[in-house]
Amino acid sequence: MNRLFDLLLAKPLPEAWLQGLLFFAFTLHLLFVLITLGTAILAVFFFVDFHWRGKSQELLLDRRILRTFMAHKSLAVVLGVAPLLLMQVAFATSFFTATNLLAPYWMFFIALLIVAFLSFDILGHGIAIHRRYHLAIALVALAALLLVPGILVAVLTTTENSGRWLAIANNGFRLTGPLAWHWLFRFLHILGASLIVGAAFHYFFTAKLDTGRAALLPWISAGVLLQVPLGLLLYTSLLVKPDPIIRAVMVVGVTGAALLLWVIFGAVRRGASLTLKSVIPLLMLVLVAMLLTRQLLQNKQLIPLEKAATANAWEYGQVLQPHVTKAVSAYGAGLPFSYNNAETIFLQSCAFCHGKNADGHGVEAKNLLIPAENLTAIRTTRTYLYRIILSGVSGTGMGYFTIYDRYQVDDLMAYLNEKYEVFARPGDIPYSIAPPALAQAEAAYAKTCAACHGPDGGGSPVSRGFQPPPPDLRVYSLVPTRAFQVITQGYPGTMMPGFGELAEEVRWGLVKTVYRKRTE
Amino acid sequence: MEFLLFQVPYLGNGMTIGIVAVVHVLISHGLAIGAMTMVVVSEYLGLRDQDPDWERFSRNLLLAVIITITGVGAVTGVGIWVTTSALSPRGIGSLLRVFFWPWFAEWLVFVTELVILLVYYFTWDHWIGAKKRRHVYLGAGYILMSLCSAALITGILGFMLTPDGWPWEQSLASAFFNPTFLPQFLLRLTIALTLGSLLALSYLLFTSREPRFRREASNLFGSICLVAVLLIPFLTWWYYAVVPSRYKTHIIYGILTSHLSQHPEVLFAAVAIILVAVLFCAGLAWGRKTSAARVLVIPALVLAVAFVFAFERTREFIRGPYLIPGYLYATNVLLPEKPLLDQRGLLPNAYWFNMLGRGDPENQGAFLLAQNCSACHTIDGLNDIRTRVKNRSEDGIFVYLSHINEMVPFMPPFSGTEAERRILARFLYRLAQDRIHLSAPSRYTPLTGEVSHE
Repeated sequence: MNRLFDLLLAKPLPEAWLQGLLFFAFTLHLLFVLITLGTAILAVFFFVDFHWRGKSQELLLDRRILRTFMAHKSLAVVLGVAPLLLMQVAFATSFFTATNLLAPYWMFFIALLIVAFLSFDILGHGIAIHRRYHLAIALVALAALLLVPGILVAVLTTTENSGRWLAIANNGFRLTGPLAWHWLFRFLHILGASLIVGAAFHYFFTAKLDTGRAALLPWISAGVLLQVPLGLLLYTSLLVKPDPIIRAVMVVGVTGAALLLWVIFGAVRRGASLTLKSVIPLLMLVLVAMLLTRQLLQNKQLIPLEKAATANAWEYGQVLQPHVTKAVSAYGAGLPFSYNNAETIFLQSCAFCHGKNADGHGVEAKNLLIPAENLTAIRTTRTYLYRIILSGVSGTGMGYFTIYDRYQVDDLMAYLNEKYEVFARPGDIPYSIAPPALAQAEAAYAKTCAACHGPDGGGSPVSRGFQPPPPDLRVYSLVPTRAFQVITQGYPGTMMPGFGELAEEVRWGLVKTVYRKRTE
Repeated sequence: MEFLLFQVPYLGNGMTIGIVAVVHVLISHGLAIGAMTMVVVSEYLGLRDQDPDWERFSRNLLLAVIITITGVGAVTGVGIWVTTSALSPRGIGSLLRVFFWPWFAEWLVFVTELVILLVYYFTWDHWIGAKKRRHVYLGAGYILMSLCSAALITGILGFMLTPDGWPWEQSLASAFFNPTFLPQFLLRLTIALTLGSLLALSYLLFTSREPRFRREASNLFGSICLVAVLLIPFLTWWYYAVVPSRYKTHIIYGILTSHLSQHPEVLFAAVAIILVAVLFCAGLAWGRKTSAARVLVIPALVLAVAFVFAFERTREFIRGPYLIPGYLYATNVLLPEKPLLDQRGLLPNAYWFNMLGRGDPENQGAFLLAQNCSACHTIDGLNDIRTRVKNRSEDGIFVYLSHINEMVPFMPPFSGTEAERRILARFLYRLAQDRIHLSAPSRYTPLTGEVSHE
């Protein structure tokens, strides 16, 4: 085999390209995620600040901030498509295992996003409601929104820690112990970053007045300061030892953050505003360092795992190879196949039990405790046969076939009748029965058979619970020879015993007695 | 590649993916393409006729549409991916490989589409007067990008039904431009215009009070709807004609399910009712009979949505045994893997089962059920496996398992040894008799089932 048959592990482009694209796409995505989260937190804060504490009234910050929410959140979502694609392509084994381990949470984030997005957008677009309802909706939306990075961080934490998958599964599919601490600090670190990036965005782009900027400035500096303890905690909770390169990147990030603080406090001391030119490059440097650290740590754990899985898949491909051509041509041959005629339906759905010739000797006969009926012997009504096909015979292998629509079932019944005369009368009994024997048979029916088959052939209260129940003799018969055989030998696997001890003439008499029960 | 299994309680995995997908289809077709086309056309008419009514209508409709597209449409689009990666990892993972570049291109198109839409929305009040024409062009640019993204996705969807020569040659071109690509793309377009015009019409008839404008706009949306709906039967027929016979063989059952398969006339009646109702409503609107159209427009919209739901469900249903035709079964088993599993067995090689599962027959049975059946069946929910095997004998179930895909062509074959088939048959038999209970039905691995032995 000259290709990896298991497509799941085939790489569409070289590893370095894949990693480069992933980094680029993830950085873009995260930038807008952080702005979105920050926007939501700030909007709710300033709403409370304005309506309850009466502050920053002239700024209308809450409205200004929320108005841009639509743009950030939709860009965050759409930009997230590429990282998702690239993660699934680069680290299929680990990523899919993580989404499976955390499946209910992972899928739930979609619902959370819808709630958060609709609420914030409706609040941000001039729906005037009482401030208490406004706040209630905003808080629900904020809670929903903040849970989303929590879920995604949990999935990434799981993805990166293959050694702990079994523990996760055994602990009720939850993160526990060191994984839980790592998750918590990573999640909080994201929220901290969102305060800085969100506040910086609105500082430069939406807060038009100096007072508005002054209200946002503490959020930026507090955010950076908050990241110091959070970063330390996150560092101590790392589950993989960072190598020198990763450490160097971290140092760059921390230096960037320190410079950022220096710039901010410098501006505050001088009473000047922050400038775009000084803050944004530093902020981007810190963001890039943070995400590079993330990706390098991730690669350290995942690339060896993925390589091993790929090697495995190549080996497995060798094992599969002998079956490939046959499997694909069988698929191709099956395409024009149609179940649009009764013969096909019979051969595909009935013959393995009832036999190609409908004589009850299908390939599966040996596996059935209750043998399939010889269909050529059946003499019944359309209604009864239709009922058997649709509901099956309980307690036997005969299933229900509503998978065929009424046209198909009608065709099948017409086919069976044409070939085997299933709707004909049972025919003449090939034995001449003297009146005494017939009388004896009638008496035997009344005394023995009627207990289950009922005096009129329609069954009795006793037999209603049988698995399978006896057939309704008023509408269902077997041709004489087959009926005689069942009376003589019984029906294997059912409650129907054989009555071979009765004289042959009486048994034929019973066939006649049974035929007399037919009402249609 | 083997992954853990998670089963969504009650709904089942297939239906969960399906519901997210249908919501997405309704919004992406009906709003992102359909209603947005109505927005841009209305804005253009406002500019051409210097009519503030058109302008105001367009602006208001845009707000409702953009909130829904960005809040629900985009999220459910990612949601299809999220649910499939949790519930059907091997399927979605393999599909990503086949269509890596279309998918990557789709990302670029999505981003462009969204940026245009956001600029269109945020510049509405600023690009006025001489700049208005530029604004309309921007709207047209958005429509163009949304059609590109629809075309990219349709290639992938079509492939999942008719992969053409791909199973043999693995060529991307033949996978993408497969036989159902074009008819399906055009059909989706007409569906988008139908839904979009009905949405715009209902928005108009329930919000605008100005009689002259109501009649004029009603005439426009009615005529767009009429043309689109009249094309749908033709395009459906074209689409149907290129689907391989095997998939069409159970089409009536596929649409009506086992509840109604014996009443096929229901299908024809439903199609007739939907067509007549939508056409009648569109006709009234076109004829400027706004009061009558107002009564019918919501029912017509609901019926059109029902049509889309049935269309998508049937498309997913008939491709039955395969997640990727010619490559992967719905059970997440590769086609050439099936004979191998029949020889070697599923259980000995199941990593997660052996790591987490207990080795008793009930657990083995539950695992085999999860592997072979849980893509479509649930226990006690939709498509309940217990009702499927109810009243069958154990040997009968065993025999069915060996022939399931001959008997029911939209079901994938059982993979595993004869002994494993017997374990599953016994498990199903006891399950149907209510003698086995699972305490955590969503997780088959490990099975946390409590088995009652009476």
